Amino acid sequence: MLFFRSEEALNDWCTALQQPRRPTATLPQLWQMAMAWYSNRLSPQAHRPDASEIRQIFARIGLTDTFWDPQADRF
Amino acid sequence: MDDTFDVTLRTAVYRHFATTGQSPTLDAMREAVGATSEQVRDGYRRLYAKRMLLPAGDFASIRMAPPFSGVPTQHRATVNAAEYFANCAWDAFGVVAALGGTGSVLSRCEQTLEPLVLHLTPDGPPSSGWRFHCVVPASKWWNDIVFT
Repeated sequence: MLFFRSEEALNDWCTALQQPRRPTATLPQLWQMAMAWYSNRLSPQAHRPDASEIRQIFARIGLTDTFWDPQADRF
Repeated sequence: MDDTFDVTLRTAVYRHFATTGQSPTLDAMREAVGATSEQVRDGYRRLYAKRMLLPAGDFASIRMAPPFSGVPTQHRATVNAAEYFANCAWDAFGVVAALGGTGSVLSRCEQTLEPLVLHLTPDGPPSSGWRFHCVVPASKWWNDIVFT
């Protein structure tokens, strides 16, 4: 899970390292992911989101590609 | 040992990372929860099964307690003048989220090596051309979480 300066930089990296080009998230989307996963992580009530919760989080953020589905068998 | 023990152990691990920025030793966790070394190791195994942490190979320390990293990485966060290593780009934001929502992230573009320096607040980062990318699909993240 890495940062890239731009879509072009990402494309160059994928080509150079022969890595698959996957869907990306913007930094505001990444911040929403981080808050959803980790904002209560130090609490005794903390839990990792289950598959249903993960789908809801990604859908709310606008990440709807199958790539983000925790139970997808396409990949 | 029951769920109460695992919650106590997990909370102690995370609070240690939050307080020190470093992985706790087995002895530190044994003392924190009042258990034997084997009971702590067994707790680590159960918490790994729940995808809450990744012990080091010898169980003497914690490799990952997401978003915190027990080893140095290129993804760093600073909160209240304390410095932390994160496991990945997502977790760099996650450290700030876990510690109140205000702090700084220092990382880099993996292709150009240009530094990424951001100050985050609960409102999040401003829009920019920077992107987050992962080659591993969500359904396989924990198949090899270190690679992911």
